[in-house]
Amino acid sequence: MHPIIRLVNRNITISVNPGFLIWQVIFPLIYIFVAGFAYTALIDNVPFGNKDLTYPAFLASGMIGFNIMNSTLVSGIIIWNDRRHGMFEQIMSGPFTRVHYILSNIATIAIIGLVSAGLIAAVGYPVFFESVEFSPVTIPLIIFSSITGAILFGSIASIISTRLRSSEGFNVIINTVFLFFAFVSTAFYPASGAPQPLATIFYLNPLTYLVDIIRAGIFGTITEFVILEMVILAVLASILFIIATRLLTKLDF
Amino acid sequence: MSCIEVHSLSKSYSSILAVDTIDLSVESGQVFGFLGPNGAGKSTVIKLLTTLIQPDSGQISVLGVNAIKEPLKIRKKIGVVLQQPSYEPTLSVEKSLEKYGMMWNVDKKTRQIRTEELLESFELTQIRKKKNEDLSIGQRRRVQVAREFMHDMDLLFLDEPTVGLDPSARRKLLDFLKNKVKDTGMTIFYTTHVLTEAEYLCDNIAIINNGKIITVDSPNELKNRFGNEKTIKIHVSEQFIQLPNLLKDIPDCNIEKSDGIIITIHSTNSEIVLMNILKILNQNNIPISDLSAMPTNLEEIFLKVVSDSDASNN
Ligand SMILES: Nc1ncnc2c1ncn2[C@@H]1O[C@H](COP(=O)(O)OP(=O)(O)O)[C@@H](O)[C@H]1O
Ligand SMILES: [Mg+2]
Repeated sequence: MHPIIRLVNRNITISVNPGFLIWQVIFPLIYIFVAGFAYTALIDNVPFGNKDLTYPAFLASGMIGFNIMNSTLVSGIIIWNDRRHGMFEQIMSGPFTRVHYILSNIATIAIIGLVSAGLIAAVGYPVFFESVEFSPVTIPLIIFSSITGAILFGSIASIISTRLRSSEGFNVIINTVFLFFAFVSTAFYPASGAPQPLATIFYLNPLTYLVDIIRAGIFGTITEFVILEMVILAVLASILFIIATRLLTKLDF
Repeated sequence: MSCIEVHSLSKSYSSILAVDTIDLSVESGQVFGFLGPNGAGKSTVIKLLTTLIQPDSGQISVLGVNAIKEPLKIRKKIGVVLQQPSYEPTLSVEKSLEKYGMMWNVDKKTRQIRTEELLESFELTQIRKKKNEDLSIGQRRRVQVAREFMHDMDLLFLDEPTVGLDPSARRKLLDFLKNKVKDTGMTIFYTTHVLTEAEYLCDNIAIINNGKIITVDSPNELKNRFGNEKTIKIHVSEQFIQLPNLLKDIPDCNIEKSDGIIITIHSTNSEIVLMNILKILNQNNIPISDLSAMPTNLEEIFLKVVSDSDASNN
């Protein structure tokens, strides 16, 4: 077996536990059904491209993006724990390189992101099936989103986890950053309903791009703007990945 | 065959010269002890040899491979137990052994067999289902050492593996290591600050202090070289402050300390010295309550060698 696959195996073993599953899968599902239907009374149909989406459909698709972002927490937590419990040094003194380590983390969160996105898509399907327009690009777009999102947010989580020394710090900071991304994005409500300055800030947020791309895939509304968003997301992910890799290779023992 | 070859190796951390132009050669198939006080540079040498850190200068060859050019090739063939604890907090003891074997690409069947063997050898069977985060420091250390034997290796580095172990677990580990070397012909590079351990376990011992290797020899040779001398201890019945003055003129009699009741003497000519002492004590009517003459132990040699090297540095 390739070293990266062995590390992915180990990463998944140590990350997937009941607490994680509740946070990553059960909670988003409950949220889609409870919040989705509770807020339908408050929020009208949401225009998206040439479509009108019901709010639950809008929310469920946004939740997929949110979930991909959240699953990258796993990578930050793995790096953080590995440093704190001596496993980073141990792995680096074994038959692995730092590149193996970094790529295995990215692969782990891409897998976790893809699986949980798939689960939410499958369970959320009844909520948005009326507006769904499967096309040959639906699946590729979701895969693109999972992988690019995993690299982008995973790099952010890695950067934070390599910069910190205090044990309290990591969870607080990463959750604050991700909560900020979540609420200042179009994941939970549409930019069109928000006041102008806020709507602008939405588009300084990579999560907005991520959910736009996912929605475009699910609801078949690919525009030039979405393609531009894909390019921006990919470029941003590459830059952050390079920074994260640099920081990780500089970590000394 | 030479297993580790090191030439003029140096490594500094900002202002501290942790390893100072070291030369070292370790033959295969033995336990090589690396003995030194805290801060001597033992862990830094291990990190250099295991390619975790890069030297400032010098050459390192491990198992015939250049450590600076092909670090991964070396890491595939060695095992490492670092001084720092390392564990997967959420995994059980047996699962962490099993997963560690998987990480080393050991096939499933072998993993199962080895897990059982190691749980047994390291007395972990009782706690096999416990999570690592719930273990005591000593138990965790045992898991960390046991885990390394999940995979095959030609050379194993152990950095103070017995710290935190109770005396019986300590002895069990040393015996386990001795047997491994005997059965498999592997080489072990073992650091410790405890001399009795090095004496019990190692075929050769290097003494390191302030980043420099002071001497390399077998435990017996070390004793012969530094320890032809004996330590004589005399315990008199009543305090007699003038005692050192009476004895100081005996040839070859180095008085280490005296409080008037117990006097400690080093000598390379202990029999003659002892006879002279008894004569003088007898002439002065000083009753003796106890007397012993023992070969100076390695502990004392170690302390002496280290303090001599400190003195010559200043
Ligand atoms: N990462 C580090 N940064 C700065 N100084 C270090 C570092 N690691 C070790 N040192 C210093 O290098 C010297 C040797 O340390 P070490 O190799 O750990 O000694 P030993 O293992 O023999 O106790 C010590 O003075 C120690 O303080
Ligand atoms: Mg040390």
